[in-house]
Amino acid sequence: MARESFDKEIQFLRLVALAGGAYNRQQLASRLGISVHTLDKTVRSLKQTLSLASPQLTAEQSTELTEGLRYNYYESADPLLLFLYRAKSLKESESIRLTLLVSSLQDRELSAKDLQDLCSERMPADAPAPDEKTIRGDLKYLEEIGVIIRSDESRPYRYRAANDLIDRLTDDELLDLFDYVDVTANTQVPSVQGYLLRDTLKKALRKRGFQASAADTHRYKYHYHSRILDEAHLYTIFNAIRQRKKLHFVYLAPRKGLTYSSQNTNPLYERESHGVSTALPLRVVFDHQYGRWYLIGWSARTGIAKFRMEGLTQIEEGDAVPEELFEERLGRVLEQLRYSWVTDTLHTVKVVARFYNPDPRSGVNFVRERVEAQGQWGTITEESAQSFRFEIRVSGVYEIKPWLRSFGSSCEVLEPAWLRKAFIAEWKEIASYYEPVRKNI
Amino acid sequence: MSLFEKIFNCQIISRLDETGSFALTSQERTWLRAMLGHEAAETAFAPETLSKLRHMLETNGNGERGGDVRDIIIEKARSRERQVYHPLLRPLRRIMMAGGGVSLNVRLKHGGSKIDQNGLPCKLEYNMAKREWYLLWYDMRNRTLISTRLSNIEAALETPLAPELHRELTERVDKLIEARKKHAVISIVQAYNSELSRILYSFSCFEKSVSYDEAADLYRIHVTYLADESKFLLSRIRFLGLRVQVLEGDPLKRRMRRTASWALARYAEAAEDEAAPAHEEGSG
Repeated sequence: MARESFDKEIQFLRLVALAGGAYNRQQLASRLGISVHTLDKTVRSLKQTLSLASPQLTAEQSTELTEGLRYNYYESADPLLLFLYRAKSLKESESIRLTLLVSSLQDRELSAKDLQDLCSERMPADAPAPDEKTIRGDLKYLEEIGVIIRSDESRPYRYRAANDLIDRLTDDELLDLFDYVDVTANTQVPSVQGYLLRDTLKKALRKRGFQASAADTHRYKYHYHSRILDEAHLYTIFNAIRQRKKLHFVYLAPRKGLTYSSQNTNPLYERESHGVSTALPLRVVFDHQYGRWYLIGWSARTGIAKFRMEGLTQIEEGDAVPEELFEERLGRVLEQLRYSWVTDTLHTVKVVARFYNPDPRSGVNFVRERVEAQGQWGTITEESAQSFRFEIRVSGVYEIKPWLRSFGSSCEVLEPAWLRKAFIAEWKEIASYYEPVRKNI
Repeated sequence: MSLFEKIFNCQIISRLDETGSFALTSQERTWLRAMLGHEAAETAFAPETLSKLRHMLETNGNGERGGDVRDIIIEKARSRERQVYHPLLRPLRRIMMAGGGVSLNVRLKHGGSKIDQNGLPCKLEYNMAKREWYLLWYDMRNRTLISTRLSNIEAALETPLAPELHRELTERVDKLIEARKKHAVISIVQAYNSELSRILYSFSCFEKSVSYDEAADLYRIHVTYLADESKFLLSRIRFLGLRVQVLEGDPLKRRMRRTASWALARYAEAAEDEAAPAHEEGSG
């Protein structure tokens, strides 16, 4: 069986999370490069996963996936998009068996033989009783992913669930752990494993008699929810980097408008194939301004190569490169990224801006606070009671411009002169957007 | 390591639920071990709990090797982390969970403090842009909803609250939040449709939906926001510059017009050295 890829699901969910409500089925399908039939199939299976993974969803949220995933911020603290990671397909009998094994090992130690007997007894009548080989295979899998552990090294091996993290904590400690996982999953990267753990701890709290509202006290304002989807490729890239391996993938540049390209399995919907890109992965960049991820690599053709992670599809590992080559490329890329506001690696320019302090009567200097918090490696020089200067060297101004502009009239660009001119021109045009409409006389 | 493990499958999870069983994987423990390295952990746990957790995660090390994924991540354009945890989170969340009221001493902007403010704590709220914790609470004396930085709270004591009153106040708070909601329509200027993805990403932190007029090739973003979020929404609109235009939402339009004229005045002033325009623009 081919390795299951979630490209289609990820691209679909990203499209509805970002542009929810914008497209009808035909438009969605054409943007994803699939047939309406395939789209319907994908939506059906995702809906099924969603309803199993989040039974508490409000009617509004679960009605129509294609109409978008709407967050009602104060209604729920659960990350809706997490259900993507619950979509791995599995045979019914395998899911019953794995559950039976894990639940039997919750509070006792059993051997493979004990478990086989237990399965023969407890598996539903229409499912085949598993043989010893199957049980051993399952136990090996569960041990590998760390869900169960061997109690000691004497044969026959006996296993138990690896639940110390829950079992050995008092109620109060478990609550603290839940909160910590909640806070760090929401505020740090990476987050997906944290959200998965949060889900389990929430259930553990419930089992100990905590009310559901106990897990609902914290909120995170201005969160980029879709970053959960973009983490899907993170570990594939991480594994490749660790092994110094190249990656092959089909890159769909977000500008091209097409977000997914089917693998031409259906001749009726054959479409132009996209070229395969190859790069040596070196680092990933997380951009806090948009909540977006980038893969930074090295390609034979272009040198440093930057890809938005959301555009990576059909990723496959390639050959490994020698350690010295990897180190050399990494060194060059890190040097190039040194003055990147995000990932720009153009000519380095010095940008100077004057920031104006708010009226001291407002009590808080929010302009100064924000420049200090977000100005990266820029330096601040005192100027007067009204203003201060901010200086920074950046490799290209394209990425810092939005940040400077976001301060509105509290920021005046001083250097370079051409950037100053560009800001004046932009503000003039923005002003024209909001000129009062004159009535015809 | 894969995020798409069989064990995370929704059928398994819902079956485990039915039997009250748990499955914890080594990748989740590895993640937690890494996160416990953050200095915030010292504030989040009692010292005994923290050392117990660290010890458990060390000895629980079956196949949990393979380095730290964070070594390959470079975070850019991040706000400096003012706080990830605040010492008041633990007591306040326990008061909230118990359905209690709260008496607060709040430090004032211009010095001094207001003491014994009685209220209902509603949510602990982390502002991702400012990287700081706030308490959203209902002020019983003034009958308003207030958001206070935890760093400005000098003391928080639990006060008893009858369950009926708690229920009544919670309903009132829900209504207040609903009443605070505002709507705006922001259109994407057509020349920038090729930057659709970037533009939608930057509004993805709001409650919103998008509409698309295929014939005209026009995108509109319908944003629902709370009154006190307008500052941040405006900073996002300014951030995107020419790419977007506020179509509906008079207060936002007025602010944008004022900002543009004040900004232009700054540049003109530098040439002519006239009187300074007023100030604005905080959040973001």
